[in-house]
Amino acid sequence: MTQAPRELTVGVGAGGLATADMVLNIGPQHPATHGVLRLRITLDGERVLKAEPIVGYMHRGAEKLFEVRDYRQILVLANRHDWLSAFSNEIGLVLAVERMLGMDVPERATWTRTLMAELNRVLNHLMFLGSYPLELGAITPIFYAFREREDLQAVMEEISGGRMHYMFNRVGGLRDDLPSGWLGRVEATIAQVRRRLPDLESLIVGNEILHARTRGVGVLDVGVVTSYGVSGPIARASGLDIDLRRDQPYLAYDEVFGADGPGRVVTRTGGDCQARLEVLLEQVHVSLDIAEYCVQRLGSLERGPVNVKLPKVLKVPEGADYVATENPLGMNGYYLVSRGEKTPWRLKLRSASFNNVAVLGELLEGTLLADMVAILGSMFFVVGDIDK
Amino acid sequence: MTVDLPTPRVGPLQDAAPKPMRLVLNWGRRYSLWVFNFGLACCAIEFIAASMARHDFIRLGVIPFAPGPRQADLMVVSGTVTDKMAPAVRRLYDQMPEPKYVISFGACSNSGGPYWDSYAVTKGVDQLIPVDVYVPGCPPRPEALLHGILRLQDKIAAEQLSTRSYADRRRLAGAVTRPAVQEPGAGATRVPVAPVAPREARS
Amino acid sequence: MAGSKKRGRSLVPGLMKGMATTARTMTRPAHTQQYPDVKPDLPPRSRGVIALLAENCTSCMLCARECPDWCIYIDSHKETIPAGPEGGRDRQQNVLDRFAIDFSLCMYCGICIEVCPFDALFWSPEFEYAELDIRDLLHEKDRLGEWMPTVPPPPALTAGAPEATEVAAANKPARTPRTRTGPAAAGGPDAAATAASPPARPPERPPAADDGTAP
Repeated sequence: MTQAPRELTVGVGAGGLATADMVLNIGPQHPATHGVLRLRITLDGERVLKAEPIVGYMHRGAEKLFEVRDYRQILVLANRHDWLSAFSNEIGLVLAVERMLGMDVPERATWTRTLMAELNRVLNHLMFLGSYPLELGAITPIFYAFREREDLQAVMEEISGGRMHYMFNRVGGLRDDLPSGWLGRVEATIAQVRRRLPDLESLIVGNEILHARTRGVGVLDVGVVTSYGVSGPIARASGLDIDLRRDQPYLAYDEVFGADGPGRVVTRTGGDCQARLEVLLEQVHVSLDIAEYCVQRLGSLERGPVNVKLPKVLKVPEGADYVATENPLGMNGYYLVSRGEKTPWRLKLRSASFNNVAVLGELLEGTLLADMVAILGSMFFVVGDIDK
Repeated sequence: MTVDLPTPRVGPLQDAAPKPMRLVLNWGRRYSLWVFNFGLACCAIEFIAASMARHDFIRLGVIPFAPGPRQADLMVVSGTVTDKMAPAVRRLYDQMPEPKYVISFGACSNSGGPYWDSYAVTKGVDQLIPVDVYVPGCPPRPEALLHGILRLQDKIAAEQLSTRSYADRRRLAGAVTRPAVQEPGAGATRVPVAPVAPREARS
Repeated sequence: MAGSKKRGRSLVPGLMKGMATTARTMTRPAHTQQYPDVKPDLPPRSRGVIALLAENCTSCMLCARECPDWCIYIDSHKETIPAGPEGGRDRQQNVLDRFAIDFSLCMYCGICIEVCPFDALFWSPEFEYAELDIRDLLHEKDRLGEWMPTVPPPPALTAGAPEATEVAAANKPARTPRTRTGPAAAGGPDAAATAASPPARPPERPPAADDGTAP
């Protein structure tokens, strides 16, 4: 406790009583941590004096495993560190390898990747739009969120074969071509999700209880955001206008975020839990717009392959490269060091949730214990992404 | 500070019970499985999907509202069990009242799955706790979990909690299926903690 | 709830909006799938279980080597086929003794199916093989073969896809020098899909049991 003792006015009966600090462990197995994050909280009455996220309960040593697998096998593991944005994870890795190889990816593959990355973003955000109200005590929204998720997962499964871990990217393109009529079904699903999204919104937007729990709670200011390297929707909710899709375009985002593209960066200035939720909600709309745009572009593209023929043994030339992508939860980067072998010498992973959760110590200090879950849930993290 | 609760058991009683009684007991257990989701990784998302309206395992009598392990009959371990998490898994399992069942959901908890060669991952949750049903997949689809639950219900229906079969069930499946791993310190000399005559400790 | 009292006007609409949604949803039919009674309708690419067509396997070990967690076990031995009565040489052939996939370890990535040069492995959408004993998740050759009838034909590809390699190969030696652009649907002339040079991608052809001619 480096802080000076605070004046305690909140907490029933704590006013004039001499109280001892209490250390409370939240997790590692706690419903609100959706996963195995552990928080050690020092409490004075109801006030959080200090909160320390203890990570590592999901550490699986993925980076070490990368080093003994070739580039196709790594994809399988890369899928799994942030299990809610599997496709975006794959993309970062294949982009790094492709850039080091100097490989050109067919246009159809690029657009299909963009489409699927955006669908994956919708899937990810829907999960949090469902689970966050659940943590605040509203059980209904998650049913609506999962209804949409199931429909989107069905189209993802149709093209890739997997519901969560798509394993559909390959170095140089995609594994398979699009099934016949798939684009039509994607379009129909997007329309359906868009039509039914007001159901979910009606439960979240404008709900007084939700507002009371989230408005002005857990305010994160821009200074803290930049000093901790927070990224993604959480940074944007604090007013930091940063989005790698626009600022450092990869895939087809150059055009999507161009002059007549549907892409736009959603920002809020509040920096509180409500702003973070709002960013997520609006990003779903934007992602659906982008996905629809991709479907149209894919329909108008010329006939062509979706992958390039690879050599039997794929070796990446010696060197190092860093590729960062805008994952649903924030910036996800791969630092790939190759010594010209078929496995990387080192593949460092910069995952979004790690930085986003690190800020919790700062954010929770001085808040009430009852707000702890609201703040923790609004950081939108995936434990595998923290611990790798 | 583990709390040593006497676990409620009907094992020997059930042995003596006449067959119709056993039938009723098993029937009751079968269709009211209060489930405790030990959600660890990707598979937990599919577990949630299975509890949602599309797949809805409440239809099968699996109730996902257990407030904690002490009120649960069934634990679904979904996700990678790491060595750091392993004591917690065991502890929560020990807190569950008898009769208790475990479903290992997904490759990671079956045998380490994609991370079997990782230094930080437990190679299967059955090294820690006895597992009743293994659901394969990475992650398994929600229907696969439903199938696993059906398998478990069939198993419960045929169950006869005699003392012997009970003991069999308690035995770790991992101990049966895997070659014996030498316990740390079993054969090797221990590092002396204090400088009290290492020679004596060795002899 | 002190804050909401101040905004007393909006208390009713905000909560009522959600209640209205709930009431509206209540009147709609549920979208629950009755799984044990009604089997789910799965797409052909769905990754449920790996089926083995043992006749096609030459035990080249490619799948076992490329598997990201090395869960495929292959044993084989060489057999010599004596030369025919009209002369020639003795031939050596690999005979597959054991082919097993450990589904407790498998991560369902499909690399083995992708790398198989002789089309011996296929995805089947079946998922109902949860076991009471982990040892039963190790599916041996026979069990893997039993999944074969459940393998669906691959989906037709979209119009934007390039011609399948077999179709292109079949169309190449056309008499006219210009390239023909036939439909690239998967149900193309699979009779022409001779196992000439295996493409890097699993070719689009019906993998059903009528394909049993070993190369």
